[in-house]
Amino acid sequence: MLCLGIESTAHTFSCAILERKGKQGKILSDVRKIYRPPAGEGIHPREASRHHAENSSEVLSECLKKANVKIDDIDMISYAAGPGLGPCLRIGAVVARSLSTYYDIPIYPVNHALGHIELGKMLTGAKDPLVLLVSGGHTMILAFLSKKWRVFGETLDITVGQLLDQIGRYAGFASPCGPKIEELASHSTEYVSLPYVVKGNDVSFSGLLSATKRVIPRGIEAACFSLQETAFSMMGEATERALSFTGKKELLVVGGVAANKRLSNILSSICTRHDCKFFVAPKEYSGDCGSQISWIGLLESSKKSGITIEDTFVKQSWRLDTVEILY
Amino acid sequence: MSRLFDHSLKLVKKGAEADIYLTSWNGHDSILKIRKKKDYRVHSLDTRIRTLRTIREAKMISEAKSFGVTTPLVYFVDEKKCEIYFQFVRGKLVRDLPAKQIVKTCKEIGRVVGILHKNGIMHGDLTTSNFILSPRGLVILDFGLSQKTDKVDDYAIDLRLFKEVLNSAHAQIVDDAWISFILGYQEILGSLLTDRVINQVLVIEKRGRYANVI
Repeated sequence: MLCLGIESTAHTFSCAILERKGKQGKILSDVRKIYRPPAGEGIHPREASRHHAENSSEVLSECLKKANVKIDDIDMISYAAGPGLGPCLRIGAVVARSLSTYYDIPIYPVNHALGHIELGKMLTGAKDPLVLLVSGGHTMILAFLSKKWRVFGETLDITVGQLLDQIGRYAGFASPCGPKIEELASHSTEYVSLPYVVKGNDVSFSGLLSATKRVIPRGIEAACFSLQETAFSMMGEATERALSFTGKKELLVVGGVAANKRLSNILSSICTRHDCKFFVAPKEYSGDCGSQISWIGLLESSKKSGITIEDTFVKQSWRLDTVEILY
Repeated sequence: MSRLFDHSLKLVKKGAEADIYLTSWNGHDSILKIRKKKDYRVHSLDTRIRTLRTIREAKMISEAKSFGVTTPLVYFVDEKKCEIYFQFVRGKLVRDLPAKQIVKTCKEIGRVVGILHKNGIMHGDLTTSNFILSPRGLVILDFGLSQKTDKVDDYAIDLRLFKEVLNSAHAQIVDDAWISFILGYQEILGSLLTDRVINQVLVIEKRGRYANVI
């Protein structure tokens, strides 16, 4: 079974082909083109969607070529139907619909966030983990319970990805700013006191954002260090609370920010304390990619058939905890 | 001083924030809560958080007692070591009760939370594992994240968290349990204020990422 997955929720346009063998998936190809806004600016939805439209055919042909398959060999197509930026989502959906109708291939709209989790599980071998999903679109702690991923904690305002990006942009860096902030932070050990807000299992970053902007004049390295330490400790504590409450014996961290070494460091120390296995999605697949979309398509196809073109949709606000999981 | 303490410590639970030991204090069975140093946190941040929460917990628990909420007695506080000795309470965590009993107990939880809010305290960590059903009634624990406040938004954050916990950990009974909780809450705060808080819960939920915007 071969599935073509199309991802276009935010800055990444990506196509990937996965092959399913039993419970395992094999990534045959995963090609990406990432929209880069000018330094100091964020994603402009119109510009990002233009980037996706201009690059879609190239990404698609390269993806087929790398996987060494023809479009006729593809058994099904899945696309990220949400959550994400409307104009960007529509590009992926249009590409998927065109291929589906022209070549008569079954089509599956899938949830992007679910893709992060399931791909992470497949690649790391985690079985029943508590999941920390950290990216530009999400900061959520989840566990699976009776057919749905349930939210045990989440951000009450902006996500950790937005927090890092907004500080980075304010300082004039190019988005996504996470790696640059991590680099700068590694040069400092000077902690400047910043607001630490944990409410139960939830966190709030908006106050931290404003406060960090104010300490940047005292040195960008110390500001980045203090920002990371505060934000990641908050998430660490919220995760620890959820671990202790659910009694889960595995922790999986996925999403773009999962690539951050310091965050992994904190989480793995928490896991040691709670006698729990720690899994982090491989760096190459922790961020947005077609593989996550393709894998969900394959999982869903084991339980249901594709939908008709008339029923395909995009949904900018599509919460993960509303998706019923049948597989 | 140290003779007051029995040094036999038995670890009861490694919590997220603190370790809980069974010990004795001055001849009484006692729970020792130690907010241990967390290696992953920067030292100054870690000390700030642990000290603040230890002091706050002891203070708020005594204050909650003063208007009739049942909490464990505080025997002794050591804010340098971030330790609190509590009275030992026999009973079962509400989280571990049978589903039907959880629904029933939620009404009492609603009353307790109502009393706290009526007196200007938000608890900050309302989960079903922070309530013990004991032979002498419902006991509320863990005031480390509590706050003095008169903002409706803060009270709503308490309610939202409790709803989130029901939704995630007690998914099968969430609707009944929530209604039961609100009934108890309303008994204390009256329908006018309750409606205001519940409305605010909806506002907070709408702020959530990708929540359905109407």
